[in-house]
Amino acid sequence: MAAVKRLKRVAAAQPGFMSFKSSAGSDDLNSGQRKRVNKNKKKNWNKHSDIQDVEEFLDDVRLQERATGGLISEKPDDSLFFVDIGEQRKYVQPEVQEGKKGKKSKSRPLRIDLILQHDSLVPPPKDILAHQQPNAKKLRRIAENAEKLAAMGVLPRRQKRLLNRRPAVTASKSKTAANNFPDRPYYDLWGGDAKETADPYYLEQTGKKRVKRPEKLNSKPSVLPAVEVIAPGGSYNPDFFSHQALLLEAHEVEVKRERAELRIERQLAVNREDTATEETVFQELVEGLVEEEEDEDEEEEDVSIRGGLQQEKKTEKERRRERADKIKSQQKQAARVFTDKKQQLFQLRSIQATLKRGEQQTRERVAQRKANQEAEKSMPRRLGRLRFQAQDLEVQLSDEIPGSLRTLKPEGSVLKDRFKSMQKRNMIEPRERAKFKRRHKVKYVEKRAFREIT
Amino acid sequence: MGGLQKKKYERGSATNYITRNKARKKLQLSLADFRRLCILKGIYPHEPKHKKKVNKGSTAPRTFYLLKDIRFLLHEPIVRKFREYKVFVRKLRKAYGKAEWTAVERLRDNKPGYKLDHIIKERYPTFIDALRDIDDALSMCFLFSTFARTGKCHVQTITLCRRLTVEWMNYVVTSRSLRKVFISIKGIYYQAEVLGQLITWLVPYQFAHDHPTDVDYRVMATFTEMYTTLFGFINFRLYQTLNLVYPPKLDSKAESELKAEHEEDYAMDSESYLEKLSALSASLARVVATAEEEEENQLDQFPADGEDLENMEAREKEQKEQEAQNRLFEGLKFFLNREVPRESLAFILRCFGAEVSWDKSLCIGGTYNVTDETITHQIVDRPDIDKQYINRYYIQPQWVFDSVNAKMRLPVEDYFLGVTLPPHLSPFVEEKDGDYVPPEKLKLMALQRGEKHVQEEEEDDDDDDDDEEYNDEVDDEDLTEEKNLKKMEDQRSQGKTLAVKVTPGKVKPWETGSVGNKVRLEKEEKAEEKRLAIMMMKKKEKYLYDKIMFGKKRTTREANKLAAKRKAHEDTSKAEKKQKKAKKQ
Repeated sequence: MAAVKRLKRVAAAQPGFMSFKSSAGSDDLNSGQRKRVNKNKKKNWNKHSDIQDVEEFLDDVRLQERATGGLISEKPDDSLFFVDIGEQRKYVQPEVQEGKKGKKSKSRPLRIDLILQHDSLVPPPKDILAHQQPNAKKLRRIAENAEKLAAMGVLPRRQKRLLNRRPAVTASKSKTAANNFPDRPYYDLWGGDAKETADPYYLEQTGKKRVKRPEKLNSKPSVLPAVEVIAPGGSYNPDFFSHQALLLEAHEVEVKRERAELRIERQLAVNREDTATEETVFQELVEGLVEEEEDEDEEEEDVSIRGGLQQEKKTEKERRRERADKIKSQQKQAARVFTDKKQQLFQLRSIQATLKRGEQQTRERVAQRKANQEAEKSMPRRLGRLRFQAQDLEVQLSDEIPGSLRTLKPEGSVLKDRFKSMQKRNMIEPRERAKFKRRHKVKYVEKRAFREIT
Repeated sequence: MGGLQKKKYERGSATNYITRNKARKKLQLSLADFRRLCILKGIYPHEPKHKKKVNKGSTAPRTFYLLKDIRFLLHEPIVRKFREYKVFVRKLRKAYGKAEWTAVERLRDNKPGYKLDHIIKERYPTFIDALRDIDDALSMCFLFSTFARTGKCHVQTITLCRRLTVEWMNYVVTSRSLRKVFISIKGIYYQAEVLGQLITWLVPYQFAHDHPTDVDYRVMATFTEMYTTLFGFINFRLYQTLNLVYPPKLDSKAESELKAEHEEDYAMDSESYLEKLSALSASLARVVATAEEEEENQLDQFPADGEDLENMEAREKEQKEQEAQNRLFEGLKFFLNREVPRESLAFILRCFGAEVSWDKSLCIGGTYNVTDETITHQIVDRPDIDKQYINRYYIQPQWVFDSVNAKMRLPVEDYFLGVTLPPHLSPFVEEKDGDYVPPEKLKLMALQRGEKHVQEEEEDDDDDDDDEEYNDEVDDEDLTEEKNLKKMEDQRSQGKTLAVKVTPGKVKPWETGSVGNKVRLEKEEKAEEKRLAIMMMKKKEKYLYDKIMFGKKRTTREANKLAAKRKAHEDTSKAEKKQKKAKKQ
């Protein structure tokens, strides 16, 4: 407190010191009652000493420095005061107006720039370290030392650690390249069977062992060869007869197809007798109106028949006779069987013949069935909704046969041939392309522009 | 009795099958994925014997799978990959929708993929199994490699297929295993014999594609995916058997030659390398440099007797023939004109040891020019050519194909420039006894035996009766033999007074050639055996035999009819030609 007071006194005692706030400090200085506090403790120094006046003074000094560039008390009088000689603005104003008119935007800075302008008159402190390095000497010495060590082959620890660090694992996580990668590497797949070193039980239990492929899967679904060579008539320059044979074959296929078409057409054809004439139409209209009486008669007859069907009770006599008839017929039957058996003794040869014939028949049938089964192995099976449809025979007509290889026009498509071959060999089921099904109806709207024209 | 009543469809075939949709649900896959999985694993639908039982009383046509197969599929690790991929697609779509590009990138980086190696190993436990099933793979890869890169399938797939097919062709060239070629209207059929397996494949013509709409491209792409994997592994193994470097590299000598010429025409190095490989004009580099294929693999000689000896001889003969065929075009120098199919011709010619070249502008890898004086054959497919060199043949491409099929160099006269070509016969047809054989083939067979055609006709005339004038020679021989046999038998049955005389053997004119001699001897032996067998027959068997012989004769008769028709046809056509000529003059 005493120090502050002293400082204030010093400031106030200085010649020409003017405070900005003239009235601020006077009350505080003259506050009469003072609180008695022990000053032997450091805590109390801060707590109970009043430093406000000093701070105010220092603030004031700083403000003066900022606003005017120094203490006002130290300034010469010329800079603080001027002599008032009345209206001098008169010819200053038009200049400003001219400026306004001409380059309005150029002369006046933006307000935001003005706000942001550095308005303190105290120059910013100089950065002393800008042009000098702290510890330069030490650093130089360290660098020299490192160089020397590097020349000897000793690396600093940091570098050593970098070198010792494991390479990043990104490379090891190799991406599996696509199967159609053109430069993909191949290796000897069948060479050197690597024997399983691990315990088979362990492998089996942990699911690491491959399940054995069933033997049945290795048999092909058809006995047909993978590539069926075209008939000799399909040569680009065929022999006359083989070409004719191929043509005949193609012709037969075509005839069969035509016949099927014709059959459908015939079935669909309208029978001329079925078409309605005037007569038939009239008959239909009158139907049921004219001949009602006959129907009634029939009904009556029906009733009478039904009545006749009711059975009457059999008499005892009838029953007896029936029983006797039955027994008689049974006896007759038994006698017949007995004689037949007796007769068979004499038919032995013919029976043997029939037996033989039967056996022969079974044998033939077995052979036939076997042959059919053999043939079926090379036939396309029914594997789905659709049946296998053989592709059209590739044929060139006699006038299409080229004279030379240069003028040959290839027939058919190998891609389709392969595809059909796979279907034929039961490797894939015949399918048709999925049809596009529209969910919602398409709405057609004519644009107005068009409507006007049309 | 009593007991529980058996419920329907709870045992038997109803429980052995599963419908496609149920299987799909069991595996938790979409239909497309399920179909893909089945193709990859080689599991095909199955038609049950009793559909109604399997279908629980309904007769609706459905696709069925065997339940055991589907259970087996449950263990497949790829199934999980498929599911992962499904999730990946979903996430990616979501990220796209939200425009989270970093997420999209991250997902793309971690795209799940799968390998088919283990499936191939599982489906084909040994290499030979795989090789037997390569026909499909070859045809498919050749087909895909000719596709245009228009987005019908992945460009990468096309490139891979091209690479694999080029590797295969190079292998066939180096191992010289091509056997038959057939140019059909569909494409070119090839047959090669690789490690004892006959492998047939079909190569489409270049630029012949209209994409059919009724083919499921997704299914085909899946098959191709599987086949490319299989094919690559097979190629690797095949290259290993020949000590070749895999992936194939050109011989260092050839490479340096090629390098100088057309390097600047191709943008990418890898691209030009594939082109160079596909040119097929240079040989491949080997792992261990051998001195010009001195390993002529010879059959081991075992002391053998009786039938074994015969077999052995036959085998040796076969092998000799094979070797002769392999050197068919050796020492010849071909030049391909620009209008002929370069790739197939180069492939075939190189397979039989010829040197091939072509115009520089046609393709990379031509080794000499048209002006080279040492060229022996130039293959031309146009009616006329202005500048001709005297010391070379100008022939049409069919000569090459026909020669390969005939296993000999055919006379070039029939294939000269502008000449009407003889028909190109299918080498895949094998005629049985008595079938109709086209006269061109007969001529060819005669040529193969080293006879002149004129001689044969004379021979025919000696033996034949008047009514069998048209008989072609093979049938003739058979028939005459039978006749002789019959005569002998008749004589024997009449009085057993066969005038048996031992006369000194004459050297017949057709027996002068060593080949003919052998053939003749063999035939005689066979005839003897046959005769004895007929003598020993029971009555019943004899009846059957006669029936068979009657059937055979009928086929011969039919064949004869066809031959007569042919002759008539030719006569008329000749007459027409003559008339035309006369008119012109």
